[in-house]
Amino acid sequence: MSGEPAATDRGMWRVVAARDFSVRLRDKGFVISTMITLTVLSVFILLRAYTGGPDLFELGYVGDRSVADRVAALADRAGVEVSVVGFDDAREADAALRDGRVDAAVEGDIDDVREGTATLRVLRGPPDLLDQLVQGAAIGLRIDAALSDAGVSDGTVQELKDQHPIDVSPILAPDPDRDSKAAVAFVAVLLLYGQLFGYGIWVATGVIEEKSSRVVEVLLSAIRARQLMAGKIAGIGVLGILQLIFIAGFAIALASVTGAIDLPANSLSAAALTIGWFVLGFAFYAAMFAVAGALVSRMEELQNAIVPINLLVFASFLISIGALQDPDSTIARVASLLPISSALAMPVRMVLGSATPWEIVASLAIVIGSTALLIPLAGRVYAGAVLRTGAKVRLRDAWRAAA
Amino acid sequence: MSPGLQLIDLRRRFGDVVALDGVSLDADEGSMVGFVGPNGAGKTTAMRIALGVLEADGGEVRWQGRVVDETARRRFGYIPEERGLYPKMRVLEQLVYLARLHGVSRAAAQSRAQEILETLGVASRSKDRVESLSLGNQQRVQLAAALVHEPDVLVLDEPFSGLDPVGTDVLIEVLDHERRARGVPIVFSSHQLELVERVCDRVAMIVDGRIVTEGAIDELRESRARRLVRVEVEGAPADWFGSIPGVRLEGEVPGGLILELGNGTDDQRVLDLARSIGEVRHFSVVRPTLAELFREVVSS
Repeated sequence: MSGEPAATDRGMWRVVAARDFSVRLRDKGFVISTMITLTVLSVFILLRAYTGGPDLFELGYVGDRSVADRVAALADRAGVEVSVVGFDDAREADAALRDGRVDAAVEGDIDDVREGTATLRVLRGPPDLLDQLVQGAAIGLRIDAALSDAGVSDGTVQELKDQHPIDVSPILAPDPDRDSKAAVAFVAVLLLYGQLFGYGIWVATGVIEEKSSRVVEVLLSAIRARQLMAGKIAGIGVLGILQLIFIAGFAIALASVTGAIDLPANSLSAAALTIGWFVLGFAFYAAMFAVAGALVSRMEELQNAIVPINLLVFASFLISIGALQDPDSTIARVASLLPISSALAMPVRMVLGSATPWEIVASLAIVIGSTALLIPLAGRVYAGAVLRTGAKVRLRDAWRAAA
Repeated sequence: MSPGLQLIDLRRRFGDVVALDGVSLDADEGSMVGFVGPNGAGKTTAMRIALGVLEADGGEVRWQGRVVDETARRRFGYIPEERGLYPKMRVLEQLVYLARLHGVSRAAAQSRAQEILETLGVASRSKDRVESLSLGNQQRVQLAAALVHEPDVLVLDEPFSGLDPVGTDVLIEVLDHERRARGVPIVFSSHQLELVERVCDRVAMIVDGRIVTEGAIDELRESRARRLVRVEVEGAPADWFGSIPGVRLEGEVPGGLILELGNGTDDQRVLDLARSIGEVRHFSVVRPTLAELFREVVSS
């Protein structure tokens, strides 16, 4: 007898978790997947930083700038930014068009516009919005001229222009951050999908590795199958959480440095949401992946075994991407309640502010409750299947074997 | 001797197949029990149940008189029939992990693992991945995995298969040490019956999920032996024994004969007759080997 103090039976999963955590941390696959995620995320953030944001046009003019100024003023009222650049002659303006320094250039003053002799020089065609603004400004100028020709006083013309005859009345509180929230939600759902799927696969391959090397029988002579499964899920899950925290920190830092997403506090809370939903979703998915791994004996068979889970995760992902556009649609609402898809769909709706408190509570209750039901079931099937090598084990047989 | 490991009336079915039909087996503290039987007789199933890797449909496993629970079981050491280790894990790291799963503290696991690797002569490979070792060395690491937590009980499924004679001797030495120094009861299965005969005190023979013979090897040989004598007589005719009823020729050996004596035939009468006919150079009772007993039991 060695007289060693034996750890409690229940604590054994921690020893398993520690091994799975450190083995995966040192795995090349982990490093590579982290790099890929960071790269994809960086590209997304940088693209947004340097191409997105409010519409911005450069409008040139040749000679007289009054028309271009009218366009800029009109654009300003429409929430579009138009900056005005002057050129001495048409050749200079054309050179700027070719270089892409301006989107279009107005040639002619207010009188030319009234007489219909002004031109808008463009490279091949003007941006639609800019074209509308320029034409709108021109129409306004001609109406001004017609009114003053008809003897309407300048004061009245001015008054008519400044009117805002139709009131805008939003039925929902306007959200000036809608766009950046959608971007944050998109990143969140992308990360969750990659994380839930990738780490789920790791659980399955970890199980198969133990099965195919037959070390599982040695392990099961020391601890019970349920502890082995719990430890594996916990170890790999904790690694997933830490990786998410790292990635989220990186993304938030990069986005604030580049100004890609005006970071209202909701980026931080979205990161917290993502991590929280990863924990909930992972517990549910990992139990399914562990069972899938236990049912087969070789890596090659895994692809087939996980097809149903793959389809479920992927369908949930697509629905959640759709929810970015329309978070209040019926399908998005249903998906945010079902335990299979809520980990992907609910964070989107929460970030966009479309989920009601009772929906959030219900979704949490459902996913936690069904995970609590699933894990013992999965544990039983796992225990019944994990020692059987050779042909793929049927779910029903595994269930009975563990009776 | 105090009761060590006891399997009591173990029963197990796989679908319609009855794998174990009431298997009982005792391994007292410090004893070495050979578990023999044809392939598919139920040895592996019984051992898996002893380790708790498999559930029994009926019966129980006791250690020191008490039904084993998880804590007691964690003090068992096991070599499964299907050898298995993490191929990509380093030897020492792997042993430390397995010891930890058996409830040994990290520090103790580290020193125990190093110690056992030295005993088994693979300490120089402790930083290597298991998959890079030769098959023989992998076997040694497998044995180390069964011993690293200083188990109270050893259950070894075919521990000698695949070992060369030197490896066999090392294993016997290690097992002998475990049972003599720490009183560990050892149950191992094997098809190498000469070896079982050489190292075991007791043997249990299983056929079709039932123990057909169990006991000290000497007793078994006495009780199950057909009565055979080997006689070498000079100057006697070939069928000199024919006059005694119940004596039959079993076979010939260089310079003599093996005779089988029927029930009630006195071996002294055979000796007297031999002496009266010629000069007796050799007369002995032939005891069957374990292998012969095995064949006899299996064929009956």
